[in-house]
Amino acid sequence: MAAPCSRMASRPICQFITNVRRTGLKHTGVRQISLGSACRAATQTRSKTESVASPWKLYGAVCLQRLPVISQERNPIEDQFAELMHQMELERSLLSDHEQRLLEDSERMTRKQADNYDSDEEEADYGGQETITAQDQEDTWEQKLKHFQPALRDRDVGGTPLGSVERCLGDSLVLLVQQTVGKETIWLLPQAQWEAGETLRQTAERGLSSLPEADFKATFLGNTPCGVYRYKFPKEVRTERCVGAKVFFFKAFLSAGSASQKEPFLSAGSASQNEPFLWVKKTELQGYLKPPYLEKVDRFILNL
Amino acid sequence: MIDCLSSIPLQASFALHSRVLDQAGLLFRLAFSNERQYRTMPTHGIGKYKHLLPKEAPKKKKERQQMKQIKTATDAEYGTLNVKVSGYDMILVEHYSQYIHNLCNRLGVKVAESYALPTKSTEVMVMPEQGTKMYVDAILKTHERIVQLSQLNATLCPTFMEVLLKNQPEGIQLSVKLHTEADYQARFKARPELEGLMAQMT
Repeated sequence: MAAPCSRMASRPICQFITNVRRTGLKHTGVRQISLGSACRAATQTRSKTESVASPWKLYGAVCLQRLPVISQERNPIEDQFAELMHQMELERSLLSDHEQRLLEDSERMTRKQADNYDSDEEEADYGGQETITAQDQEDTWEQKLKHFQPALRDRDVGGTPLGSVERCLGDSLVLLVQQTVGKETIWLLPQAQWEAGETLRQTAERGLSSLPEADFKATFLGNTPCGVYRYKFPKEVRTERCVGAKVFFFKAFLSAGSASQKEPFLSAGSASQNEPFLWVKKTELQGYLKPPYLEKVDRFILNL
Repeated sequence: MIDCLSSIPLQASFALHSRVLDQAGLLFRLAFSNERQYRTMPTHGIGKYKHLLPKEAPKKKKERQQMKQIKTATDAEYGTLNVKVSGYDMILVEHYSQYIHNLCNRLGVKVAESYALPTKSTEVMVMPEQGTKMYVDAILKTHERIVQLSQLNATLCPTFMEVLLKNQPEGIQLSVKLHTEADYQARFKARPELEGLMAQMT
């Protein structure tokens, strides 16, 4: 028990570079996160022999989240307030360069059309007519705007299956997989058993990469776990040496380029047995996770 | 006899009283004008107080800007980190950097510095299909703000980063890097004459 935690703490964190960008919808359904060279000093594994092995089995799990791609829609109140603020700012603001140019041009036009127009005097002031007026520029810009077609906010008109990453683009989703623990197959966050000689974070990374049929590229945020779930085995399985298991959760974000993604099945609503993994929102976790497990997991998943 | 005796103190008291009044008048005059009494006068040095105050250090000339020490990472904390917020929309960039600063204050992360880098203007030139001459389509300005954190706890880091990422506005790029001396030097303007002279010297 003490071994992996202390090893984690003693690993000096030398460099880490994170580069995060919000990309447009058409590239991927996922935000680009790239982790630069994180060179760590060589870990010196503690060579002290543990005379008493702890009775708990250790697992490292990863809470892989896909960040929202587009902004959330506003409430009616937020809408009204935003409009009000916009109106107030408009009324208080001063004229910009472009608007001033518009005004000057329109004044010049009215003066031109007046009867007592003296072209020499006008041109002496300005030094020659400008070829493009501000109004012309505005017209060209409006034309360009008409050609622009914004993409639809949600692509799932019919309702994409739960296994697709591009599900609810405005919310953050968590990855759930089906694994056999003991005798049953249950939904949980991807995990792997800890082996001697590796840190728990590496266990979590291994758990993520060993998922069948899916190749997710994740960026882990730090070396410290964000939560722990401890449970005892049922009495039949319990022996002297393993009383129960402890699962340590690590947070990670899905970075761009999750390569081989299966074609999502066009099935309705609930997850069928065929799908190996699910992307769910925090509110939907209740339908899949067991209550004691859910209680611990709920604590560290932020609902922002 | 008694009258004599009683009268003398009275006269003396009168004299004393008059001298006190004189002195009071003198002090009053001295207080409201810049007169000082001459060295031989008994009131010489009356009203001096500066010698009674504690000595203050002589005022130093302002020194050249020195770089603050760049902290290195320890086992439990990260070193000096630069959180760079950049984007085209200045309002969003400013508000997001202020949000990060306030969040750090609330969470107890020490903010070493918070500054802005110069704005970079990018001209977007469009070449029409028919002609060869390019014309300016638009000017995009990239604004950058940097919040420098000094002691970010390793246990706090994942939560902190998650909050930052989840609250990132549209069109804003966030980047977290280690602070180096090159970053510090990049903020200063290049001085070509000085560099020319230094090159001549060596």
